[in-house]
Amino acid sequence: MNGITTRLIAKELHVHRWTMLATAAAAMFSALACAAGGAAFNVGSIAWLTAVIAGGAMLAIYGVANERKERSLQFLLALPVSIPQYVLAKTLGLLLCFALPWLAASVSAVVAVLASPAIPDGLLPFVVAMCGFLLANFAVVLCAGLHARSEGAMTAAIIVTNMSVSLFMFGVGALPGIRNHLGAEAPVWNGTVAGVVLVELLVFAIALLLPQLTVARRRDFL
Amino acid sequence: MSTTAHLRMRGVSKAYRFFQLQGISFDLEPGEVLGLVGPNGAGKSTTIRMAMGMLAPDAGEIRVLGHAMPSAQAEAKRDVGYVSADLRLVPNATLGWHMAFVSSVYPGWDPDYAATLLRRFNLHPQQTARTLSHGEQVKAAMLLALARRPRLLLLDEPGNGLDPVARQELLTEFMDVLRDDSRSILFSSHNTADVERISDRIAFMDRGRLLECSDREAFLERWRRIDVQLEPGAALPPLPHIVAESGEGRFRTLTTNRFDEAQLALLGGAVRGVQRMSLEEIFVANVMHHREGRAP
Repeated sequence: MNGITTRLIAKELHVHRWTMLATAAAAMFSALACAAGGAAFNVGSIAWLTAVIAGGAMLAIYGVANERKERSLQFLLALPVSIPQYVLAKTLGLLLCFALPWLAASVSAVVAVLASPAIPDGLLPFVVAMCGFLLANFAVVLCAGLHARSEGAMTAAIIVTNMSVSLFMFGVGALPGIRNHLGAEAPVWNGTVAGVVLVELLVFAIALLLPQLTVARRRDFL
Repeated sequence: MSTTAHLRMRGVSKAYRFFQLQGISFDLEPGEVLGLVGPNGAGKSTTIRMAMGMLAPDAGEIRVLGHAMPSAQAEAKRDVGYVSADLRLVPNATLGWHMAFVSSVYPGWDPDYAATLLRRFNLHPQQTARTLSHGEQVKAAMLLALARRPRLLLLDEPGNGLDPVARQELLTEFMDVLRDDSRSILFSSHNTADVERISDRIAFMDRGRLLECSDREAFLERWRRIDVQLEPGAALPPLPHIVAESGEGRFRTLTTNRFDEAQLALLGGAVRGVQRMSLEEIFVANVMHHREGRAP
């Protein structure tokens, strides 16, 4: 990674610092609310999910789609940067912008589960799988954003990935290896959980790699 | 063919669904200002964006400061400044941040010159790009391009949408750049007055083709409008290099793109006047001539 790539990554962190901060704060506050248990758990968990998903969607919209729409892409492409360097910097920069609040959200969720007597520790594997899913989900949104040439395509990608959160909750939450241990007093780390996390890692890796092989090779980038 | 050209295009073509750029060839030498003049949709922006590596040609060769484009664009763009009327800065970052960012990328950044341009353009480092007007955006982009002291400036209709005072400020800065004769400018516009003021050479483009590329003085010397009053019953003698003819009956106006005394001699006493043409008139006549398919 050369100097210009590093500076472009730093630019993403500067430009999106308030989105990162707001996402992290909202997710941590929501996790705190969850720890109270009962109705607060339901409200807090929805708010936690919303904060992380919305933060990711905003990063993709403002970091990729709006850069093209508002024509600041020309300013960046006029720098001494090649298209592959730009795509790499954009991918890593926005991933870092998401990863920092995601890490804060994940840690606060894990702490809430372990520290709160109102939440069974058996929920932890599902929370970890959910955190992994949200990271992979952002990578897919970012991948779609980098590929999309229109606002419509970008919007469609965000809608589809948002819908997949519900599918994940109902689908993965219904897997016997996870469902049967949700209320357990201690977390149960089994093959089902490992399989889910492995698939998430695979999706994450593919979604990050794909733009480097396709978008970075585009002949026309404007 | 010069080996030192700052920008060289040879047989460059690019096809879109409803537009084709065909066989663009020209050189831009150090110290030269080349004005690219053409109506909307002529292909000026496409040409400049290909020179910047933002678009790749379907055929032909582009070299910027000796580097092949778009493959070596990262190296080439180290010494190129680019400003377009379309270009916008990062919306929620301040001008001061942009200056710090650009100066960290270009070792040749001149902070004193940047401060001078800030004052001259009446810009403030605390302003976020989102709050800048169109004219201020262009001036800010110009500041960021000029203060790094690039050898080659590629300017895509920078004066578009600017008031006359702002346009004058930009043109003054371009003239300043050219005091250093190792630098060059490719400057596209459909404002022929601006192009005429600062360009050494002028290229006319229309519908994806480069119609003509020549010295400014050569254009102004070669093109003339000849007013003719024929004798009753007399016919206009066949004349070479007449690209347009207007008027009816005995009174005609001829436009030539290769004016010389021999034309006047052929017309004899019928000549009532010979007028020089402005660059805008030459441009319009040139475009219409080529559109009518009467190119020699």
